[in-house]
Amino acid sequence: MVVASAPRIELHGVSHRFGEFTAVRALDLVLEPGRIHAVIGENGAGKSTVLKLIAGLLRPSAGAVSIDGDVLAAGSPRAAMERGIGLVHQHFMLLEPFTALENVMLGAEPIRRNILGGMRFLDWIGALDFDAARAKAQALAADSGLDLDLDARVANLSVGEKQRLEILRILYRGARAILLDEPTAVLSPLEAAELYRTLRRLALRGHTIAVVTHRLDEVSRFADEVTAMRRGECVLREQLPPRHGRLDASAEASSQPEPEPSALILRLTRAVMGGDVPASAPKPPVAPGAAAVLELRDVSVRGVGTRRLDNVSLRVHTGEIVGIAGIEGNGQRELATALAGLLDIERGTILLDATSPFAGHNDAAARVRAARARGLITVLDDRHHDELLLDATVGDNLVVGDLGLADEALIQKRRFAIFAIEPRSPSRLASELSGGNQQKVVMARAFDRTRHSLDPSTNAAHQPRALVLDQPTRGVDVGTARILHDAIIGIAAAGAGVLVISADLNELRTLCHRIVVLREGGLVAELPPTASDEDIGRAMLGVADRSGREEAVA
Amino acid sequence: MSLFSLTTVGETLRIAAPYACAAVAGVWAERAGVVQIGLEAILLSSAFASVVGTLASGSAVVGVCAGIIMGVCLSAAHATLVHRTRIDAVVCGIAWNLLAYSGTRLGLRALYDSASNSPSIAAFRIGPTGNEGWQVLARVLCDPLSWLAFTAVVASPYVLNRTRLGLRIRAVGENPTAARAAGIDVGRTRLLALCISGAIGSLGGIHLAFDQHRFEAGMSAGRGFIALAAVVLSGWLPGRAALACVAFAFLEALQFVLQDIGQASKAITLAQMLPYAAVLVALGLGVGRRSAPGGLGRHAEN
Amino acid sequence: MRGLSSSQQRVVFALAGALLVLNLASFAFGEAPPQTLARVWAGTWGTPYGVGQVLFKATPLLFTGMAFSVALRAGLFNIGTEGQLAIASLAGAWVATKLGANVPWFLAVPVVLAVSAAVGAAYASIAGAMRAKAGVHEIITTIMLNRCADVVLPWILTVALSVDGVRTAAIAPGARTAGLDTWLPSFHGSAASLAFPFVVVLAFAVEAWLRRSRIGREFEWIAQSPSVCEAQGIDVAKRRMQAMLLSGALAGLTVMGTVLGYKGYFELGLGAGAGFSGIAVAMLGRGGAVQLVAASLLFGTLAQAGLAINARVPRDAMGVLEAVVILLMGATAFASARVEPAPSEPARDKGGAA
Repeated sequence: MVVASAPRIELHGVSHRFGEFTAVRALDLVLEPGRIHAVIGENGAGKSTVLKLIAGLLRPSAGAVSIDGDVLAAGSPRAAMERGIGLVHQHFMLLEPFTALENVMLGAEPIRRNILGGMRFLDWIGALDFDAARAKAQALAADSGLDLDLDARVANLSVGEKQRLEILRILYRGARAILLDEPTAVLSPLEAAELYRTLRRLALRGHTIAVVTHRLDEVSRFADEVTAMRRGECVLREQLPPRHGRLDASAEASSQPEPEPSALILRLTRAVMGGDVPASAPKPPVAPGAAAVLELRDVSVRGVGTRRLDNVSLRVHTGEIVGIAGIEGNGQRELATALAGLLDIERGTILLDATSPFAGHNDAAARVRAARARGLITVLDDRHHDELLLDATVGDNLVVGDLGLADEALIQKRRFAIFAIEPRSPSRLASELSGGNQQKVVMARAFDRTRHSLDPSTNAAHQPRALVLDQPTRGVDVGTARILHDAIIGIAAAGAGVLVISADLNELRTLCHRIVVLREGGLVAELPPTASDEDIGRAMLGVADRSGREEAVA
Repeated sequence: MSLFSLTTVGETLRIAAPYACAAVAGVWAERAGVVQIGLEAILLSSAFASVVGTLASGSAVVGVCAGIIMGVCLSAAHATLVHRTRIDAVVCGIAWNLLAYSGTRLGLRALYDSASNSPSIAAFRIGPTGNEGWQVLARVLCDPLSWLAFTAVVASPYVLNRTRLGLRIRAVGENPTAARAAGIDVGRTRLLALCISGAIGSLGGIHLAFDQHRFEAGMSAGRGFIALAAVVLSGWLPGRAALACVAFAFLEALQFVLQDIGQASKAITLAQMLPYAAVLVALGLGVGRRSAPGGLGRHAEN
Repeated sequence: MRGLSSSQQRVVFALAGALLVLNLASFAFGEAPPQTLARVWAGTWGTPYGVGQVLFKATPLLFTGMAFSVALRAGLFNIGTEGQLAIASLAGAWVATKLGANVPWFLAVPVVLAVSAAVGAAYASIAGAMRAKAGVHEIITTIMLNRCADVVLPWILTVALSVDGVRTAAIAPGARTAGLDTWLPSFHGSAASLAFPFVVVLAFAVEAWLRRSRIGREFEWIAQSPSVCEAQGIDVAKRRMQAMLLSGALAGLTVMGTVLGYKGYFELGLGAGAGFSGIAVAMLGRGGAVQLVAASLLFGTLAQAGLAINARVPRDAMGVLEAVVILLMGATAFASARVEPAPSEPARDKGGAA
């Protein structure tokens, strides 16, 4: 079933401005049918904007997007869709309470025509033909290898299933050009390989595929062609040799050897960073016999819906950085919010320096403040939901939650200076900052949040005792990520215990002394930072380890 | 008159019709994601328009049409303003209520030179006269407006759950950004939903006016607000919202019964508080905690 | 329009719309628009008496406008100021009738105000508690509480207080707030009282306090994002409750303009409508105390103008006008502030309503 007429998409001199800010500058780009085209770049380089321009969600300020030679009517998602273009957004565009099938058919619903026959003008009130929709969806799913329960509610699907649903949905709409925005950001390595296998199958059928990603190893393994963007401009374009990742549908991605950081990856890194990246500071080893700073004993917590944390026991020692790996939604958020004091603990105890950090409070707000005063500091993963007031000033964001405890002007000034926050004015709104600078605000506040640092009689910065960081560099550019990594390593070296939860295995390898894996609310494995993606991925998915090593965690 | 007689049943159904129409109208609006606290305005303005239409043309059918057009226009204006200008829907709804309240009074003065009510209209006089229980019930059952209201209540769940339009309305109400990404025109879908909402709500207003055979200033008397409560209590389900309205109507019919039993105590006047207090208690006990449509009051974003 | 700021543009639009409605209404009632306008001017800002009446009409609106905007600061829609001010006014008036005839004003007035504020806050606390404990949206509860007040008030007046059914006895003379004509004789005959300068000072004081204090700043942060505030250790439920209490107390203080400064007793319907108009005042007066006072004066002018033209054009025209002003102000607020979103911002929580 080769699709004969997958569209060839061309961008000619396309620019896009958001107010003063130019997101994309005079970009030329050609996406050919039958190929996987990767677009890479740092945050804010304009990658996502390019996809939105092609999908008609944004209107180019200059230049034109053409499909098979016809210029696309600007700013019309419907027109782009009708031309066979489908976009999978970074944040899933799914209706959570609806079934998968309802999501698939939405916007192109088949109608039963028993009674009203040819009265097309009454289609809008026509009865939905779920059987026809199911048959079509099942055929498409089988053809492209997208395994999915169509009658499940989306809210109950895993992240990987939601991703497959998104792809199935645009295929259902007749998309022959598939654009994906950071599709692997929330996937485990095995799921990512699976996704690329599906994409390859679709490319072999003649579809046009474009993937925006910041994972350079994926580019070298799976893409046919790569465009690197920096500050809205194309800085590098390369055709990749076919041996890189030309997997046909039957090839086992995970059985391929982990590619070494090749010359290609180095070239790509330099292109997106605009130069060489300074290496991270090396992490000092944990002193033997170091005392436990943070300890969880058989902790069980109930989270949103069916999510929970079950009998988790974990110890973080002074000077140690422990990484938590796992597929999103397997208890990471419950772990972080429980340590922050936001959730009631069903069973078990949390100890900071051998005593409870929550001082027996029953009320979440009081627990949060008590833990913070003791030096147990938590940064949650969803920056815009939990950490940052986008419509408040940077100055207010630096002190939110700490009013009434200390000399506000003093701590605001001190926190502002911890990282070089750009623009250098505390009166700017947080929403005006880039993702990296937003995270600097959040981390500066966290690093300077112990009781001592809030004591007005002292101006010295005091270290937290224990730091819990959930996705500390998500949506943050590589340069800022390095700065934050160095700071985290520094704070551990000074004696704090650090727990890092991250979907980015490279980040965990860089930072951590050991990596534990969370699956279905329980800790299932402990691995050294040298473990391969494949080993960690197997533990995340619960696939039996070939070496049979699945340790209990001390 | 006993507690459960044919009269009580008839009265309950008669009283329930405007409530139920307004509540189902509220469900349609809010399932599409548009906060609608202007139900009161729809009841009042369509009641007025139906009376004006009837008096002007001499035909009750024309009156009904005028009332429906009024309700649809008001509701469509709400949808358009909220979508295009992003005005706060709550504030907008309050303005509609104020506009309808003052506007209909102004209209009464302008057209009929009265501060309180219009001349009386014939409306539909179908069914037996008299106050026997069966006669009361038969009158209710013969009233074409009752049947229109009943049809709207029964058809709403089907249309919302089983049709293309219903799916799209629920989609824009649940997550307008995602619906837009699926190629659905959020503004147009909401406008359509609000037109349906306005039409159903106007049936309630027309029923009120035809039931009294005239328009009275402020005759909606807070029914739109009770209907809004029914929407929340029902968990945004049209059938249940209508049922809740029947319960309210029963409480109201009960007041007549109680007053009929005798002026045992002036505390009886407090019985008027029953529906409102019942709503508060029910909400406090967690009835209707079923979550609101996820996109209620939200706009599509890039 | 180019040279005007967006808020100035909004006011121009709203006033133009109001003028249009007024002209249409007067035309419909066979009155030449210029004559109606002349009546409006003479009845409001054209004479000292008119000015006094405008200030009198603006007084309750500024109380309720403040009440609504304080709650809105914390992201809450207190639609219930109408019921709160009614119950609180009755309570304050009742206490004022019980005071001895020779209780001096510096004791009587604060006592009555304290009682009214407390009762208003208590009534609002029902909605506050239901939001905090049961998660029920305050729009629906405050609407229900308004309806309850409508039923309870006549019952209290007839049954509990055993008076003639529509009003309380006269309040103690010490509790009366002096009319402004005591100092400014040209206001003679108008009902403007000391309550007006009091509420203006209060508006500025409350605004200044909310801007600077921890509680006021946390209110604003909660309105922006309750989830962030919760994660950062701010007690969101407590702050919301405080906002409702403060809002209810301010609504309760309306008693000063109606009972103490004007009637000298409470009767059914006294101050009715001020609650809903207060919402309009608050929406129009967003941004600060100056705007709030100006908005209350505008709506006070409309209310008084309604009385001035009532003989020829029914004053209900002013209700229509008020609605049109709200719609135009609200509709132009966003249109002028519309900007394209910043790149790669994920969907933001705008906070749903009932």
